Amino acid sequence: MDLALQLLFTGIGIGAVYALVALGFVLIFRATNVVNFAQGEFSMVAAYLMVVFAVDLGWPYWLSFLLSLAGMALLGAIFNLGVYYPLRHRTFLPVIIATIGASILLANSVLAIYGPQPQVLEGWFETPGIQLGPVYLDSQYLLIIAVTILLVAFNYWFFEHTMVGKKLQATSQDKEMASLLGISVSTMIMITFIYSAVLGGLAGILVAPVLFVSIQMGSTIALKAFAATIIGGFGDVTGAIIGGLSLGIIETFGAAYISVPYKDAFAFLVLVLFLVFRPQGIFGERVAEKA
Amino acid sequence: MKLTRRGFTAGLAAGMTAPYLIGSARAQGATIKIGMCAPVTGPAAEAGKYATGGAKLAVEAINKAGGVLGKQIELIIEDDQTTNPGIVLAFSKLAAQPDIVGFLGSIRSTQVHAMAPDVMKLGKPVMFGGTDPNLTKLGNPWLFRFRPNDSYSGRVIADYGVKTLGKKKWAVLHSTDAFGTAGGKALTEALGKLESPPVLDQGYANQSQDFTPVVLAIKQSGADILGSYFTFENDLGIFARQLRQLGVNIPWVGSPSIVNVTALKLAGPALYGTYGVADYAEDSSEGSKAFGKAYRDAYKVAPDNQSSWPYDAVTVLAAAINKAGSTDPQKVREAIIATKKFPGAEGEYNFDDKGDGLHGYNIVKNDKGNIVFDKHIEFND
Repeated sequence: MDLALQLLFTGIGIGAVYALVALGFVLIFRATNVVNFAQGEFSMVAAYLMVVFAVDLGWPYWLSFLLSLAGMALLGAIFNLGVYYPLRHRTFLPVIIATIGASILLANSVLAIYGPQPQVLEGWFETPGIQLGPVYLDSQYLLIIAVTILLVAFNYWFFEHTMVGKKLQATSQDKEMASLLGISVSTMIMITFIYSAVLGGLAGILVAPVLFVSIQMGSTIALKAFAATIIGGFGDVTGAIIGGLSLGIIETFGAAYISVPYKDAFAFLVLVLFLVFRPQGIFGERVAEKA
Repeated sequence: MKLTRRGFTAGLAAGMTAPYLIGSARAQGATIKIGMCAPVTGPAAEAGKYATGGAKLAVEAINKAGGVLGKQIELIIEDDQTTNPGIVLAFSKLAAQPDIVGFLGSIRSTQVHAMAPDVMKLGKPVMFGGTDPNLTKLGNPWLFRFRPNDSYSGRVIADYGVKTLGKKKWAVLHSTDAFGTAGGKALTEALGKLESPPVLDQGYANQSQDFTPVVLAIKQSGADILGSYFTFENDLGIFARQLRQLGVNIPWVGSPSIVNVTALKLAGPALYGTYGVADYAEDSSEGSKAFGKAYRDAYKVAPDNQSSWPYDAVTVLAAAINKAGSTDPQKVREAIIATKKFPGAEGEYNFDDKGDGLHGYNIVKNDKGNIVFDKHIEFND
């Protein structure tokens, strides 16, 4: 029982990381119908920005945090203008390939500047964790779980109760109709990219003290987050969160009770099962081909 | 003076042949040339600086002491770009210079595998630092290894844990890649021979984000010592932290990655008190100490195994040429193989006929972040 509780906590913690990155996937997909394969690199770049500000320059943690998120907002805007905008009238394929290209460019640019050695970023808290009965709670995972809960609440409020949120929803449902109603579609897509880059960055900064800062940190998380998105139902915010959490829990328990080397395989086995038996995911609706 | 016909002919002959004779004398050399393939660019460029630094230090010392066969040594470095095609190209450029008498290859086994066929074709001695045991079993008589191969690390970890630390209930943890699987297997076999088969043999996939299930498995197995083969430092760092957080404090003896600079930086206090195998440890012998001092004086930084093996390679090669009294490849090869009890920076060289110079490892301890030498374990078979 103690074992199961410890595994559950770790599973939820790592699942929350997947969920945060998955959110970024979902938001961009809803707005543009395109999967952004550079979403994981957003996390990696933000973690390196934190290393630059907080470690190399020695600035206060909170200031470095805000500056890194501001940097991510800027990167999101540049990404939209440089990668998505020029191809917006094309089919989804060139855009997806462009995002893959951008992800390679980002990873190698950081490699060229920082070199291949992983970097250390201290956590937000002085105490590494607390012992609660038989279970050890890592303080950084606690923070990640708390931030994920807050973001779910924020997303609900933002998309359901603010005008910008509703405009974003309208844009994602039908761009032409939204445009006819006087919504600036390109502004909405710009907001989406900025928000997604900040979300991805937030995930990267939060997870960096646990997984260290390395070039490949983004791609490893993004792959799982992508699976989480499909499991939850592509295009559904709640689905991304539930998908991420369930993936974290499934792989942690699978590793503990069945096989450690096949830990990643459990995650992707679940993905395959969903693709075969419920391709629309947990929360997705069955979508018929448009005529 | 009357010019006779004979005198004229002799003068003409001398005049005609002189440039060739002088040229030939120059080709035989004012210097003895050694070629070196090193990662000047690419991901291992930082390590490359250490490698060339070590080799240059040896060249300077030998030249100061009078050189080889009465001549000065000249080191010619070609960039291997840290890639396999890169080292093949670099080696072919060096091999095209007929006056180069011996070469230094790479610390990366995969690169040595890549250049091995060309080494065979050229037929001149090549020193290298890659630790894949198979490299000296290729039937290639021109490859000479200047670091202990991986078959020794498993035996040394087992020997130290069982005989020195007195622990018999082992948990063996290893990556599931080629390196980790081979290492884990070597350690398990060595433990079997010491009648302490592991109570847990646990593989993990590289780039794991979480090791909680692994730590809990170690905890449940009741093991009183841990032996590990980690490939990547970030995996090692994540595991080490989680191991300590979940309250596992058993002795831990790891493969060389556990004592490398990046791992120490990432894991910090989580690795304090652990042991690792290391081929270069500054306090392990007089030769290692002398090299450490010379390197520090020259470059103002501490050396590591990237720089110690090229230093030894140049020193042993120079000594072998002197002993052979010639730069003839076959004679130099025989002299290298005959090198016994030679004190180097990495340890004492006793070459076997396969080309392996070292047959043991040092055990070092992480004493609050400082790596200190504990003991050397040598095998004679």
